[in-house]
Amino acid sequence: MLKKQLLKYAAAVAICATIGTTSAAELKGPVSYIIPFGPGGESDISARFQQPFFKEKFGKDLVISYQPGGGGAVGWASLNGLNGDGHTIMGVNLPHIIIKPAQKDVGFTTEGLNTFYMFHYTPDAIVVTADSPYKTLADLVADAKANPGEVTMSGSGKASANHLAQIKFDKLAGTLTTYVPFKGTGAAVTALLGKQTKAEWGYTTVGAKQGDAVRMLAVAMDERHPLFPDVPTFRELGYDMTGGAYRGIALPDTASAETTKLWSDMIGEINNDGDFRKQMLDGGFAMLDVGAEDMEAFMAARVEEYLNDAREAGLIK
Amino acid sequence: MDFSQFVAALTPFNIALALFGVVAGTVVGSIPGLTATMALAVLVPVTFSMDPASALILLGAIYTGAIYGGAYAAILLNTPGTPSAIATTFDGYPMAKRGDGDLAVALACFASVFGGMVGALALLFLAPPLSKVALAFGPVEYFWLSIFGLSLIASLSNGNLMKGLAGGAFGMLLSTVGVAEISADIRLTFGSQTLIGGFGVVGALIGLYCIPVLIDLVAVPDRHLKVEENVKSVRIGDAFRLAMRSKFNLIRSSVIGTLVGILPGAGGSVAGLVAYSEAKRTAKPHQKFGEGEPDGIMATESANSATVGGGFIPTLVLGIPGTPPDAIVLGALLVQGVRTGPVMFTQSGSIVYTFIYGLLIATILMLPIGLLIGRYAYKSIVTIPKAVLVPTVGFMTIIGTFSIRNSVSDVIIMLCLGVFGWVVARFGFAASPIVLGLILGPIAEQGFVQGWTIGAATKNLFGMFFGRPISQAILAFTLITLILPIILARKKARVGAEP
Amino acid sequence: MSRQKVSAEGQVGSLIVSAFFVVAGLVALYDTLSYTDRDSQVFPQTVAVILIICAAVSFITRFMRPTDEGGFGQGIWWRRVLLVATMFLTCIAMPLVGFLPAGVIAFVGGLIAAMHDRWSVKNVVVYWGAGAVVMVAFFALFKFVLHVPLP
Repeated sequence: MLKKQLLKYAAAVAICATIGTTSAAELKGPVSYIIPFGPGGESDISARFQQPFFKEKFGKDLVISYQPGGGGAVGWASLNGLNGDGHTIMGVNLPHIIIKPAQKDVGFTTEGLNTFYMFHYTPDAIVVTADSPYKTLADLVADAKANPGEVTMSGSGKASANHLAQIKFDKLAGTLTTYVPFKGTGAAVTALLGKQTKAEWGYTTVGAKQGDAVRMLAVAMDERHPLFPDVPTFRELGYDMTGGAYRGIALPDTASAETTKLWSDMIGEINNDGDFRKQMLDGGFAMLDVGAEDMEAFMAARVEEYLNDAREAGLIK
Repeated sequence: MDFSQFVAALTPFNIALALFGVVAGTVVGSIPGLTATMALAVLVPVTFSMDPASALILLGAIYTGAIYGGAYAAILLNTPGTPSAIATTFDGYPMAKRGDGDLAVALACFASVFGGMVGALALLFLAPPLSKVALAFGPVEYFWLSIFGLSLIASLSNGNLMKGLAGGAFGMLLSTVGVAEISADIRLTFGSQTLIGGFGVVGALIGLYCIPVLIDLVAVPDRHLKVEENVKSVRIGDAFRLAMRSKFNLIRSSVIGTLVGILPGAGGSVAGLVAYSEAKRTAKPHQKFGEGEPDGIMATESANSATVGGGFIPTLVLGIPGTPPDAIVLGALLVQGVRTGPVMFTQSGSIVYTFIYGLLIATILMLPIGLLIGRYAYKSIVTIPKAVLVPTVGFMTIIGTFSIRNSVSDVIIMLCLGVFGWVVARFGFAASPIVLGLILGPIAEQGFVQGWTIGAATKNLFGMFFGRPISQAILAFTLITLILPIILARKKARVGAEP
Repeated sequence: MSRQKVSAEGQVGSLIVSAFFVVAGLVALYDTLSYTDRDSQVFPQTVAVILIICAAVSFITRFMRPTDEGGFGQGIWWRRVLLVATMFLTCIAMPLVGFLPAGVIAFVGGLIAAMHDRWSVKNVVVYWGAGAVVMVAFFALFKFVLHVPLP
């Protein structure tokens, strides 16, 4: 289902890219690309991957800066006050931009952000160390059933993609595991490698980065990730779970329709570059092509999904 | 490992890069609000066209220089240029005030080079075994480490422990403002969206340290720093002799810096504080820490410079960045197509070793460059008339704070904190305990919550917090640091009472 | 007479500051009641209790044994106020008139506040010239080299 959608989006974007002339003429100087988190996370890495391709294709510098604070809220709350002439863009992350405004007034709304492209996602995955007694997902589930609550799993933050995945999986598998929140994926992985916790709720990117040091038990994708042909999907194992953390880019809402279109086409073009795709896939990312015209439907579906999960988890009212 | 990588690092191009990096880094670090993270983020695209080793050398040199540059502002303006230099202010500023600013700057340079060398050598020879330190440190260890850091409040509160503790607790409360880091709440914002991002450490440092200095400066006509009659140059000879006499302090602090640098959740500021605390604990009776003791500067500066090499250990061996600048370097490597993580030392060994040699070269270059820039910085701060110095520094605080998150409200928060800090300091609540709370608060909170969650899940709370060997060691050091001075003071009083 | 005045300032000021910290702790405690996640409550509650106890002890000991410790000390008030006020003014003006013009407000304010020497033509020219150079240099460094989007 998701794959079909993806194919459709990819086709649509490919057509746009060939028909619509991408006029870089509208960009007069360097573009400021704001990441509303600190450096080192998945948002930062994927933005760094885009940087050289942008320069090569459109001749302008993409200047990446970090604006951490409030789990991204500081950046997103300031986005619509920035100049909408197309020289300032900001990374956006799901589920953050959906869950945060649903919890409290954080100065922005999901609909208020002018998200024009979702370019990749990192599928959820359960990761254990290479020498862990859990050889398969069944081992972990069996242990969790025998010792309710004693299986500790690290993850990045609360009310995050990792946390929602943990709650969802517990429900699907009928287990009780303990979720231990850490500050960012890096810290959660450190805790796993140091055996502070028995497993980690992470992403496929963790498996790509840590190589032989870790083993992924299952990934939340429709089909196996090309980088990990031996790792089964949750669905293969009987748990209906796909998804992860989605990342895209937004413009200030004052940006004109033409500017939005221009940007959507430019990011789409980078996304369809074979070298870029290969670099992303090698990093463990999964590609996504949702351009400006399909954004509304995509967001509506994700909002429903995430809010539903969060409500069932008791994270929002 | 052979020396071909050393030769590879020694190309004129690489040396020029290291030179440029150290100079740029020192300047960036000396300006409060400009961080190494920011400078690196801007420069990463420049490195795309270089080969990976040269790119790494440039980035590493900037990082090294920035950590040292933070000492200038700490010594001459009582404002840490980077958070790593917090403990440098404790003795650096008093030294500068009494006219020894040139000596302090030179000492900082010697200590930084020494610490930087120790860190880089550890990275060169001991990286794989030392990376295990990063993994051995669990949530509970971080919790106890932060408590150890907080024990420094006892000696920073100028004889009024209650006020110091209150300041520390207040700082920790400030650290919880905004969206909680690891739980799902928004705390203490009282509905204000300005506060959602919380109190940034860099902005808070500028406010709490720099603004009070400016307010005091304008109020009286005296000179900013006392000047000796004939300022000739930075007192290199004196500094070198002092550094030689404190070699044990330098070695210990550099080792502490390397080890703390390896911990991904700690960083240069914690390393400086821990090393300072240890130097103070082992001080000789005549040494007066906090009133301009050279050993205080040396401990902090060697420790925070050692975190550069230390921080690269988990970054390169485990693929886990220790600090934000490490994270940027890691990102730059990924874009270059270098696979970091466990495979890096084997697959990309030559790049790694060329980089480490480059880092060593950059550290050595820091000695002449640091002394030269230090001399210039000291002379200009001393000779500039107050009427130019104050507005220049004031302007710097505004532009620096603004650029951290491109936000005007951050500047307003910084100014409010500054005025608040000035007022409460006038009534015995010093700024340093508040800053300590602000920096160590999140480490304490996260460590505690995670440790508690894991302990409760495995039904072994007591063992979790008190049963692990590293925790026990840190706890023991904390107790010694807190109790020993009391016992010594009693003993001294008893000896003094006898005729 | 003046000695007594100083002591009153130190005593009253210290009590007010201690009381402020107690109130801050109580406000924080009240705020924690609205959190949904137990993990977010534990730490602020513990810290707030420590703050309240320590600040209260400071308050009580000071109240029982008044001293003249503390106080704003010597110094010229209009200079302090001018410095801080112009810096705040800069922040307010920044989004309206742009960074550089707003920065001039703080710079001029700081210059006048810190000007203890006699005003002479030479001084004025040199200081203002230096100020202009410093500001433009920093502005250029941040805006064009570091790409900070200054308003």
